[in-house]
Amino acid sequence: MELLILFGTFTTLLLIGTPVAFCLGVSSFATIVYIGLPPVVVFQRLNSGVSVFALMAIPFFIYAGELMVRGDIARRLVALAGALVGHLRGGLGQVNITASVLFGGISGSAAADASAIGGLMIPQMKARGYDVDYGVNVTVVSSIIALMLPPSHNMIIYSISAGGRISIADLFTAGILPGLLLALSLMFAAWYVAKKRNYPIDPFQGWGMVGHLLINATPGILLIAIIFGGVRSGIFTASESSCIAVVYALFITAVAYRTMHWQNFVLATTAAVRTTAMVLLVIGCAASFGWLLAYLRVPATLVAFMQDISQNPLLVLLLINVILLILGTFMDMSPLIVITTPIFLPVAQAFGVDPVHFGVILILNLGIGLCTPPVGAVLFVGCAVGRITVWDAVRTIWPFYFAAFATLMLVTYVPSLSLWLPSLFH
Amino acid sequence: ADIVLRSSDTHPDGYPTVEAVKYLGELVKERSNGRIEIEVFHSAQLGQEKDTIEQTQFGVIDMNRVSLGPFNNIIEETQVPSLPYIFRSVDHMHKVMDGPIGQEILDAFSDHDLVGLVFYDAGSRSFYNRQKPVENMADLSGMKFRVMQSDLFVDMVNALGANATPMPYGEVYSSIQTGVIDGAENNWPSFESSGHFEVAGYYTLDEHLIVPEVLVMSKKSWDKLSAEDQALIRQAAKDSVPHMRKLWAEREAASEAKVREAGVKIVSDIDKTPFIEAMKPVYEKYVTSDKLKDLVARIQATE
Amino acid sequence: MQGTMRDIARITGTMGRIALWLSGTGLVLMTAFISVQVFYRYVLNDSQSWTEPASVMLMGWFIFLGAAVGIREGYHLSFDVLLYVLPLKVKLVLHSISDAVVIAFGGGMVWFGAELAEKTAGNKLPSLGISGAFDFLPLVGGGILIVLFSLERLARRAAGLPTARFGETELED
Ligand code: NA
Ligand code: NA
Repeated sequence: MELLILFGTFTTLLLIGTPVAFCLGVSSFATIVYIGLPPVVVFQRLNSGVSVFALMAIPFFIYAGELMVRGDIARRLVALAGALVGHLRGGLGQVNITASVLFGGISGSAAADASAIGGLMIPQMKARGYDVDYGVNVTVVSSIIALMLPPSHNMIIYSISAGGRISIADLFTAGILPGLLLALSLMFAAWYVAKKRNYPIDPFQGWGMVGHLLINATPGILLIAIIFGGVRSGIFTASESSCIAVVYALFITAVAYRTMHWQNFVLATTAAVRTTAMVLLVIGCAASFGWLLAYLRVPATLVAFMQDISQNPLLVLLLINVILLILGTFMDMSPLIVITTPIFLPVAQAFGVDPVHFGVILILNLGIGLCTPPVGAVLFVGCAVGRITVWDAVRTIWPFYFAAFATLMLVTYVPSLSLWLPSLFH
Repeated sequence: ADIVLRSSDTHPDGYPTVEAVKYLGELVKERSNGRIEIEVFHSAQLGQEKDTIEQTQFGVIDMNRVSLGPFNNIIEETQVPSLPYIFRSVDHMHKVMDGPIGQEILDAFSDHDLVGLVFYDAGSRSFYNRQKPVENMADLSGMKFRVMQSDLFVDMVNALGANATPMPYGEVYSSIQTGVIDGAENNWPSFESSGHFEVAGYYTLDEHLIVPEVLVMSKKSWDKLSAEDQALIRQAAKDSVPHMRKLWAEREAASEAKVREAGVKIVSDIDKTPFIEAMKPVYEKYVTSDKLKDLVARIQATE
Repeated sequence: MQGTMRDIARITGTMGRIALWLSGTGLVLMTAFISVQVFYRYVLNDSQSWTEPASVMLMGWFIFLGAAVGIREGYHLSFDVLLYVLPLKVKLVLHSISDAVVIAFGGGMVWFGAELAEKTAGNKLPSLGISGAFDFLPLVGGGILIVLFSLERLARRAAGLPTARFGETELED
């Protein structure tokens, strides 16, 4: 009965359009009242759910991303990507993906990636005779790469949801190969669609141009080296690196590029506050929801249930993947990480899956969910930037979904893709 | 069962404190003929210690196994067993906490909507680091040690000439590995289970903290029980202590063996006198009221 | 009616802007605090213990204030599939139910946040040395604004004015 109230209230509120954070909070509130416990616990969980030091990486990475988009760092990365891979079949599609790899190395937000790179690339693609749906599709699905490559604040959310005992540095490192693999398979999909639709090939601009654009983009790319080098050499911790990213982005845009003026700064700051408040309120309310799930023994019951269904870890992983994909279709990423980690991680671990590996699977899986209707924040951003309807975008997105799904399967069933790189640092 | 008591623990399943409360649950179930049961929520499923203490005070959960650290700023008396080098050995701590002084500290919980049941063991905490074998205070000088976010522990480490660096527990492993900090401090089981021994190769057994942990009950839940049931739970909690200590000793020995096997260099015979001397200003800062001075004096006088 | 609502909107708009500016200042201060933390630890070898709890507390303030502004500006994520297929009248009723639910939750933030603050007022926060009540004041402050801004939404809808919503209307100030 308690579970019926919890999920019933949640679903009803979700359907009538109540903001997700309040769906989580109010359904927890209703259930607590039904059980007869003091409701104060809902608000205590909300408060302590957001009062976690490691969560600070979220506002910082989002802030750094805003500063970089408004301070011209993103545009220079796109220009460099264009000179590097623009001459391949479906050139601008390849540029879009390569730009996501470069941008993903300095930002962990798929939505920021889609709006920054989509905003720069989609109009250019339109102008050069590419179909808009192609531009939107490439932009949307390739923005998942930003989640996989370090820095990724979603990995930090995962580590916290798992009780804070999984090394963030390991998670960051574990995402690198799967992120690059995803880029490769998407490039293949982009090539395939471009060939079928007979898109033009741009001439190579020459190594001189590449060098020139590389110098232009170097301060942005250096951020990757500074974050990674700083963490690995013990100057700051993985979560502190997010703050360093902000300071560095401010420094580069204000002093080196001279693109950061007071008004840009205010816009970047308030935009970061808005996004962060939205994301973290969901995380806080999900902490209440998650507390109730634990109190009602949902994870333990689910583990027993899964063990009844199958003793085969491969099958259980597939089952978890499918459930996550379905959930991801309906809900957004950060609340899902917070809600599903305490439920599925014990299941996965009971079947011998490494928690770092599981984190990579989870992020990639939920990342795909960001690109699928009906609730796909990144898909919405892509469609808004390209000015097409969600339906027009999704009709032709299948090759890219397929590439992402194939990568997900590889990442799921080849643990060394995730675990080999971190093992080198142990 | 008529009564189900929910108990929280931040340690993982199988940890001595978790197993001790499960054992307590078996005793209670057996002695009440199945009327009362205890459900243990391990691995911080219901929240971190600070949160679950509040939940226990509000009567949201019924029982809680917690460290004394989070109580230091709430219940004055709990500062005393948390003082560095206050106990000469684990045996000394047992003698004090099993006796009237321990009872006095347990009684102090009742002013804060809690009922203190028993103390459980948490071994003794010592320093480990990645740099060098620490044999005296000079060796500690300038080294960065992670401590819990507590004024007392920060002041303790700083008074030893080291550099106290509060940091979330989850970041300690990689921070020692990369050199953000030089080390941390903990007991054998945590040194081992956290994997910190893989990155910190030197362990100095200075045993600066021998702080027991405490099992408390919510006053709200407690008052709902009949006097007989209260007595039953109190007795069963007392009876779970020897079992807990046996589990703890086994766990400690197993962890020590594993750490030693990994080749960690252990410094065990150090002269603690200068360390204890250095604590004078810390004691002056924290042992201020007459009540605390009296408790400290009586503990030091306990043979 | 609509004229009064526009006057009210000017006042709440100013409140929202102040809250947003406070939040933004919080974010900038947080950046400064953590930079200080890294600088003191790495360069001066003198770790500070106040930077972490101070930043966490700032974060609480700017999340709850920012979340309240999000109510007014309508930037909280929601699930709109069902709403697309419903007639406008039904849609408006559902929006009002949503706002009422949010008011109830905001009220809970105020009421129970105050209870938590009162319970912990006697504790001292480690490293900061201030009352434990400060941990829960952001909850109360954010709750008050959430209730206020949601009431404004209900009133605007009653007066036939648009309310902001993620991906739909923008508010004029
Ligand atoms: Na990234
Ligand atoms: Na989705």
